[in-house]
Amino acid sequence: MIREALRRLRRAGVLGINSRNADYIMRWNPRSHFPLVDNKVLTKRMAEKHGIPTPPMYLLIEKHGDLPALRKLLEGRAEFAVKPARGSGGSGIVLVREQSVKGYVTQSGEVISFSDFAHHVSDILSGIFSLSGLEDVAIVEALIHPDAAFAAVSYQGVPDVRIVVYRGVPAMSMVRLPTKASDGKANLHRGAIGAGIEISKGTTVTAVHRSQIIAHHPDTGNPVSGIQVPYWEEMLRIAAGTYEMTGLGYIGVDIALDRDRGPLLLELNARPGLAIQLANGRGLRERLEQIDRIPTGILADPGERVVWAKHTFH
Amino acid sequence: MRPSLLSGDSAMKKSPALAVAVFLLILSAALVSYRIFFLGYPVLPAVVETSWRLSVRAEIQPRQEEEIQILLALPAEGGGRTIMEEQISSSSLTAGVFREGSNRFCQWKGESTPQGVEISYESTILVRPQKTPAKGIPPVSGDFAWIDKEDLLLAERLARPWTALKPAERIGAAAAAVRGEWKPVPAAADLDAWSALQKKRGGLRALHILLRAAQVSAQSVEGLRLADEVRSRPLRWIEAWDGSVWKILWPETGEIEADPASLLPLTLGDIRALAASPGRLISARWSMSRQVTSAWGLHFERLRSSGRFLDRWSLFSLPAEFQRTFRILLLVPIGTLIISVLRNLIGFPTFGIFMPVLMALAFRNTGLFYGLGIFAGVVFLGYAVRSWIDRLRLLLVPRMAVMLTLVIACFTILALAGQQFDLRQFMAVGLLPFVILTMVIERFYLLVEESGVRQGIETALGSAAVSVIAYGIISWESLQMTFFLYPELLAAVAALQILLGRYTGYRLSELFRFRSLGGTT
Repeated sequence: MIREALRRLRRAGVLGINSRNADYIMRWNPRSHFPLVDNKVLTKRMAEKHGIPTPPMYLLIEKHGDLPALRKLLEGRAEFAVKPARGSGGSGIVLVREQSVKGYVTQSGEVISFSDFAHHVSDILSGIFSLSGLEDVAIVEALIHPDAAFAAVSYQGVPDVRIVVYRGVPAMSMVRLPTKASDGKANLHRGAIGAGIEISKGTTVTAVHRSQIIAHHPDTGNPVSGIQVPYWEEMLRIAAGTYEMTGLGYIGVDIALDRDRGPLLLELNARPGLAIQLANGRGLRERLEQIDRIPTGILADPGERVVWAKHTFH
Repeated sequence: MRPSLLSGDSAMKKSPALAVAVFLLILSAALVSYRIFFLGYPVLPAVVETSWRLSVRAEIQPRQEEEIQILLALPAEGGGRTIMEEQISSSSLTAGVFREGSNRFCQWKGESTPQGVEISYESTILVRPQKTPAKGIPPVSGDFAWIDKEDLLLAERLARPWTALKPAERIGAAAAAVRGEWKPVPAAADLDAWSALQKKRGGLRALHILLRAAQVSAQSVEGLRLADEVRSRPLRWIEAWDGSVWKILWPETGEIEADPASLLPLTLGDIRALAASPGRLISARWSMSRQVTSAWGLHFERLRSSGRFLDRWSLFSLPAEFQRTFRILLLVPIGTLIISVLRNLIGFPTFGIFMPVLMALAFRNTGLFYGLGIFAGVVFLGYAVRSWIDRLRLLLVPRMAVMLTLVIACFTILALAGQQFDLRQFMAVGLLPFVILTMVIERFYLLVEESGVRQGIETALGSAAVSVIAYGIISWESLQMTFFLYPELLAAVAALQILLGRYTGYRLSELFRFRSLGGTT
């Protein structure tokens, strides 16, 4: 029975975690390039240099000495987001939508006093949210206003598009839609929905919620398939360009869709998860192997890679 | 920063992991074989072996004040026996060990003193059970000058009816004759003469003569029984060659020994096990006792006396208290191998790689039941405190320090409770890896927060299960002994770890996770 199940997975071209680590991450992602994606400040600077749009950065808080001046520095900023540069899984992020006399009002309507806010930033600086527990820096950047495209299938929060890029070629993609269960966070572990996107057209196909295949959003009840992702071509170009930018051959590119600014690169992940296969209802390995067979000429140019991917992955 | 588009090609080269693994396996196998075939190490060092302590003590009164010579027969190796830890001593004489034929002797020599001399000999005899009985050495014709012509004629008359029988049957008939069961019954006059002969020469010699007359090769033996007993003189028996093995006959009872392996021969041929010249034996004592020392000590002794490089560089050369550490330490890599298997092959969730192994080490002090209970209790309490402490918004390092203090406070209370309720296991709690426990609480908390309670509990249970398995492995004494004798097995473990590191197939858990992608058959 087990052997039969193994054979079926292999036939479906499913990429397992061992193979992902040994055959793709270890082979294509040089360790020395990891800081570029693990640190959002570096990612931002790099993206700027390569003409890839990211949410505009207002402030960079690097030391505890900056904290007393924080309130003054943020004066006049009605809305912004605070993030740890090395945070993972969305931890430590605070989204502020307005300032009141008492403090900052977060997106969920909670009021954080100025001193509590300073304390939170201090937590970020001392590395509470960073994976390794090392000291960190805090980024204050523009708040993203989600595009209306996914409004019908999101519960609060900002949906984001994840594109797995292999050797610069967009290989598979999904959009992560927040739910009530995920507390408005676009995190599959916490219960967000992952809806696969057809690379060729940029429309959602099937969706997975906590390893269940679903057709409708559990909170809004709207169908999750058949949604056209706006700016799809541009998103693919952003994704393809990260290869030249980072030098990492196997990477997860997270892009948010702002209603005013269009697609913005949120962050990069050098160890992207495998749930994207469930969201698309198909295995990743076959596509990676197809990409390995591309002639070098096409691989050399980001534009060519996007054309190839759109032509190939239905 | 622009990556080379061909960078993949160099990485495409086959990883030399397989070659390294094969090399390590061969290295390991070669060293183990060398030890077994050239240094005589036991193939299965953990087989429980019976060992006996032989102790011989004798006091000799010299006749005159002149040079005295004492000969004591020593046990010889062979037939599954190994002699170890030999100690020879005497009050004033010099001693030397020599071989004569198949016998071993210790000879004491020196100026005797009027008040007599004492000699002593001690050794440990290791008896390894053998599946097939040792092949007997065919006899060589002995010296029969001590047999009187008429005695031999009488014996030949008695043994004549047996000439048609096979050697084994002739031995049986002779043994029966000692018991008085003659077949066929000889003439009454001959029987009387036979009784007289037995009285004159003793049962042993009479039986020897009868066997000689029946054309059976025989020798008289002095020896001891491997049993807890003390004797003032060794046992004497007759060994008779039945064509393939030596049969042991008891000259007094006419019985054939059913368990020859339980006897320890000291001298073959008509030789006394202890003799002094000139001098008189005042007292002698052969005591045999079952050894209670573990098989570990036996290896230690054996290796200590060896001059071979690998013997001298054996872990047995370490002081005993450090040996104990290495017995455990050498098995830890197996524990991590198991963890690699569970994680990479099966997809078992655990808190890190080392946590389960360190827990397993701690269980050695607390025992499995209490260890797991304490582990669960402290993690649960720690989780509750950690959730609450989150409100205090403490910075990372001080917060971890608080949690560490909590863990140590728990240990202290457990130890005190152990003292009150007489639970030693609770008092041994201080040796649990408190740092690891603190980190487990933190990781458990984060996991529950980020991925839900279910994931957290699954990982905790996974870790506990792996630490139980690891505990089972490091507590397995046979395995400890094997690795202690052959530390080169670590290379084989490393080889397996390397091979596992190159396993890029699916994990068992992924069959479930991606079941929706497999489709139907």
